[in-house]
Amino acid sequence: MPFKKFVEIGRIAVLQDGESAGKIAAIIDVIDQNRVLIDGPCSGVPRQAYRIKNIHLTPLTIKVPFSSRSKVVRAAWDAEKITQKWEESSWAKRMAMKTRRNTLNDFDRFRLQKAKTARNKILTKAANKNAKVLSKAGKL
Amino acid sequence: MKVVNTHQHVKVPDEVDVTVKSRVVTVKGARGTLTKSFRHLAVDIFMPTKKTVRVEKWFGKRKELAAVRTVCSHITNLINGVTSGYKYKMRAVYAHFPINCSITEGGTLIEVRNFLGEKFIRRVRMADGVKCENSKDQKDELIVTGNSIEAVSQSAALIQQSTTVKNKDIRKFLDGLYVSEKTTVVKPED
Repeated sequence: MPFKKFVEIGRIAVLQDGESAGKIAAIIDVIDQNRVLIDGPCSGVPRQAYRIKNIHLTPLTIKVPFSSRSKVVRAAWDAEKITQKWEESSWAKRMAMKTRRNTLNDFDRFRLQKAKTARNKILTKAANKNAKVLSKAGKL
Repeated sequence: MKVVNTHQHVKVPDEVDVTVKSRVVTVKGARGTLTKSFRHLAVDIFMPTKKTVRVEKWFGKRKELAAVRTVCSHITNLINGVTSGYKYKMRAVYAHFPINCSITEGGTLIEVRNFLGEKFIRRVRMADGVKCENSKDQKDELIVTGNSIEAVSQSAALIQQSTTVKNKDIRKFLDGLYVSEKTTVVKPED
């Protein structure tokens, strides 16, 4: 199937390597086949050259001319409400969940275990009740 | 160096139905159905509209870029095969011994006898979907027809190469069956 997300001016991407790993930034210019100029004024990413292989493209874009100043990028970013759209996306939520899981301490894991058993108890009770009804009706 | 992007379009005529899935192209038309697999190539083949096929290559090297146009040509040949078909006419050329061609098995098997007076009978089997017949209005002519250009031309080549002269000066002994004309089965309206 054809590609839908392109390395283009204004594409928002998630950075994978370095200090700003895990943050989003906008692609402002293409330097050569392997590097792009990125800038994330609203996400705390300084303007820098970055390797294309270390970015993951998102479906979000902003409309900026190439090589815009950070001020222009910030204005376009806020106009499109990128930070809000990103926080609401399931991608960002999954990333947040993974970091949360990694930083659990032993007490947190204990609390998680207790919460899981409590939830599963409710679920199995409801499932068994339903199964009983179905088997009585001869459907199982 | 790597070229960022090359692409080419193939226009699909109205009477033809083309589907593409996972680099396997299926073409349906008045004369039947043809499929061709391009799974050995790393190109994007998709249909942005119902009547165009787009073949695209990103960051290709020289040989990979060449594949884009060949895929388009192959698809064009499929479309032409399924609308107008392919007809290859072959003439039997002989100096003294008349070449005797008999077509058996519903046009799929050709037996060539008396080539240069030899007792050996040359049997050539046509490819799948290819039919052969002796021309009715022209003496010493064979007509090979089919939908797939590759099958038709391969069958014609097999016939031509079955009648090769051995141990003789081939500039003098010119006997054989040769492809004389490459046309379509369905003649164009104009």
